[in-house]
Amino acid sequence: MTAVASSIPPQWYLLLAAGVFCIGLFGVLTRRDALYFLMSIELMMNAANINFVAFALYYGDLTGQVFALFVIALAAAEVAIGIGIILVLYRNFGVTDVTVPTEMRW
Amino acid sequence: MIDVFSYVPAIVLLPFFSFLIALGVGKYLPKGGAFGGIAATAGSFLLSLWVLATVAGGEAANRTLYTWASAGGIGPTDVELSFGILIDPLSALMLVIVTLVALLVHVFSLGYMNDEGETGLPRYYAGLGLFTASMLGFVVADNLLMAFMFFELVGLCSYLLIGFNFREPGPPSAAKKAFLVTRFGDYFFLIGVVAVLATFGTAQFAGEGSFPALADAALNGSGSVAWTPGGVELQTWLTVVGLLVLGGVVGKSAQFPLHTWLPDAMEGPTPVSALIHAATMVAAGVYLVARMYGFYALSPTALAVIAFIGGFTALFAATMGLVKDELKQVLAYSTISQYGYMMLALGAGGYVAAVFHLTTHAFFKALLFLGAGAVIIAMHHNEDMWDMGGLKSKMPVTYYTFLAGSLALAGIFPFAGFWSKDEILYEALVHGLNDPLLLGGYLMGLLAVPVTAFYTFRMVFLTFHGEPRSETARDPEPVRWNVKGPLTVLGTLAVVTGFINMVPVQKVLGLEGIDILHRWLDNEWGGIEGLSSHHYADLGPYSSGSLVGGEVGTVLVGAAVSLGLALAGLTVAWRLYNVPSPTEHTAKLGGIKDVLYNNYYLDELQVWLAYRTEDIAGGANTFDQGIIDGVVNSVSSVSLFGGSRVRRLQSGVVSQYAMLLTLGLIALLLALGVTGGWFL
Amino acid sequence: MSNDDSRSRGRLVPAVAVGLLFAIMALTVLSADFGEVAAFPADASIVHNIGYALFNLSEYELGSVPSEGFLAAFLIAAVALDVAVDGAIYLAKREKDGSIVSAMSTVLTDGGREGGERQ
Repeated sequence: MTAVASSIPPQWYLLLAAGVFCIGLFGVLTRRDALYFLMSIELMMNAANINFVAFALYYGDLTGQVFALFVIALAAAEVAIGIGIILVLYRNFGVTDVTVPTEMRW
Repeated sequence: MIDVFSYVPAIVLLPFFSFLIALGVGKYLPKGGAFGGIAATAGSFLLSLWVLATVAGGEAANRTLYTWASAGGIGPTDVELSFGILIDPLSALMLVIVTLVALLVHVFSLGYMNDEGETGLPRYYAGLGLFTASMLGFVVADNLLMAFMFFELVGLCSYLLIGFNFREPGPPSAAKKAFLVTRFGDYFFLIGVVAVLATFGTAQFAGEGSFPALADAALNGSGSVAWTPGGVELQTWLTVVGLLVLGGVVGKSAQFPLHTWLPDAMEGPTPVSALIHAATMVAAGVYLVARMYGFYALSPTALAVIAFIGGFTALFAATMGLVKDELKQVLAYSTISQYGYMMLALGAGGYVAAVFHLTTHAFFKALLFLGAGAVIIAMHHNEDMWDMGGLKSKMPVTYYTFLAGSLALAGIFPFAGFWSKDEILYEALVHGLNDPLLLGGYLMGLLAVPVTAFYTFRMVFLTFHGEPRSETARDPEPVRWNVKGPLTVLGTLAVVTGFINMVPVQKVLGLEGIDILHRWLDNEWGGIEGLSSHHYADLGPYSSGSLVGGEVGTVLVGAAVSLGLALAGLTVAWRLYNVPSPTEHTAKLGGIKDVLYNNYYLDELQVWLAYRTEDIAGGANTFDQGIIDGVVNSVSSVSLFGGSRVRRLQSGVVSQYAMLLTLGLIALLLALGVTGGWFL
Repeated sequence: MSNDDSRSRGRLVPAVAVGLLFAIMALTVLSADFGEVAAFPADASIVHNIGYALFNLSEYELGSVPSEGFLAAFLIAAVALDVAVDGAIYLAKREKDGSIVSAMSTVLTDGGREGGERQ
């Protein structure tokens, strides 16, 4: 059986991943609300997932896809804990603004 | 055959052990360490006599005992630094003098310190022991550096002993002054030692490789020295080196201008004054010049400087002694003046005369100081002569020995001082007839003779003659055998020592061979080549002239003049002070009295100079604190400031941390990418 | 995004940094050399093969697509998810006087609320 290659060169997938990563990074750097902050982090993780899957397709090895599955699972776990932390943050500071709690500083 | 010279280190070490014993266990010993000191100095004295006998038998020693530093290529030459001994007629004689006086002073201290109930005696005897050891080490030193080390040690002991009663205000201040003034001179001495080592590569006093021999060879062209500073002629450089070493001599032997410490040093206990500031430590300077005479003889300028300083000091100090009221002060100025005579002799080419006067002076000055100590015990430590009087009948032994010492000091025939002082003046005269500069020194020395006689007998008459002028003088404290014994011994010596070198008698009556000291120092019985007095006479620039009548006539004229002047001074003192109730005639001097009483205001001058030095030191201090400390402090403040700025990065805002991460990541990727060729 | 309270003043530097990062990654990617293309076999069932990989069955040559074995990772991920649920519940829980308090009011176990049903 012949392999079915993708007609899209891998560079495009990688550029897409880079673009999504940078958008997520911009959100992390700029957003003040904690929930948006978490969403941006999700974006960055999914950009990495795109990378994994693209290489899995290109090299014909399923490792990339399985790895991406695990990343999704762990991202879910991380978000669960993250929302718990935001909840505690809200309880202590009254807002979910990440620039407000600056106790651990010089 | 026992090699006596291998016991020479024992001469130095025995008093050192008594120092250790007094220091360590002195407070458990019955007399505070006195017997240890007496035993040690007696042992050293016997060994010194044995050494003297051996040298008289024709042997001498110039050995290196221990080389403590040797390295090729230090400076212009290979230099070896060592300890060693040099035993020749001069050092053997000096050993006997020092140990004898030290022994007598130790015995006297039993009476002065122990019987008077002084406290802190272990410290006193430890100091005496260390001093004796250091002085003996200095005497036997075979090289200039070793001599310098012991020179400094005796200065330290002098400081410790002057400041013995440190709880009073006077002694510590006097000790500090003594130490600082002599240290000032010793600074130049040290530079001189370094100059000698650099120029000759050796600091040995004697032998073929010694620096006087090398200097002599270099000057007459048969050798060369290792180094001279660029552009300086050898003769000039040798004079400079001689004058540098002279700095230490002037300080230690209390010559003008570094004489100011000696009168203040009288704050120390009287036996200390007798040992250190009369007979031995101040003799160290003169002894050093005599030891290095082969070097000094090559430099007429240095000799002229020595002679001039000596003659001037002799007269200058004698004038200051005229108006003093305290017994020990008169003796202190007398010491300065007599050492001036010795320097005059050395500068005038009278090597034997200087050593002769050193010997006789050691004995009669120690005698006078110990006699003053006896008087001070009797007067319950009141030193003012105007409170004394009439002690002659109550203290006969003290009186007669003191009188013997005074007659010697004044230079009255036939006591010891006459012969030695007369020879000094004779040498200055005959060499001065061919070298007019020396005549100035001779005249100053001659003028000092009546002044010396005057103040000496003023002292004697005020203290012992007349009617008692205070209660304590009427009923003085008696003194015991441990005071009278040393006085008697020294009194006898003051009478007979002159007979070892009766040069005038020899010349006038033509009796050859009675100038024993002259023959002794001429290596007639044995000695080291190059250290004899005729060798020095050959090297020196002086030749003898004569007045009418040739040599005999000159001798008779010189002796008559000095004796006459001395008797004149005695007579004036007799007329003024040998009355039942003498008055203070010094008031008649008018304004001069204040100048003399304040020592020509030289102490104030030195204090003023010290303050000016303090100003310069203040500048150096500012430099040190501002610039050097400033550099070090600013290094730390840079660190602190940088830290206080950099830590503001940690603002607590998570987004900013993310920003920093991003920037760091970008920088890392750029760097790796460029060097790894990712973008090509 | 009217709730969004980012301000324009603070957005220049992040934009530049992000742009720079994208540029670097793009340049790297575009100038990189990828190796031989080897795609998946045409008739392989991807999902089945993912299952085989998860349980380390790929070494029995059941599927036609090569992969590594991920059994350990599978189990660890299960544990991690379990821990995450427990942690989230713990962080969210707030107790006052022994009863469970919710973010807005106390919660009773039958769904009702203390202080009445209407807020």
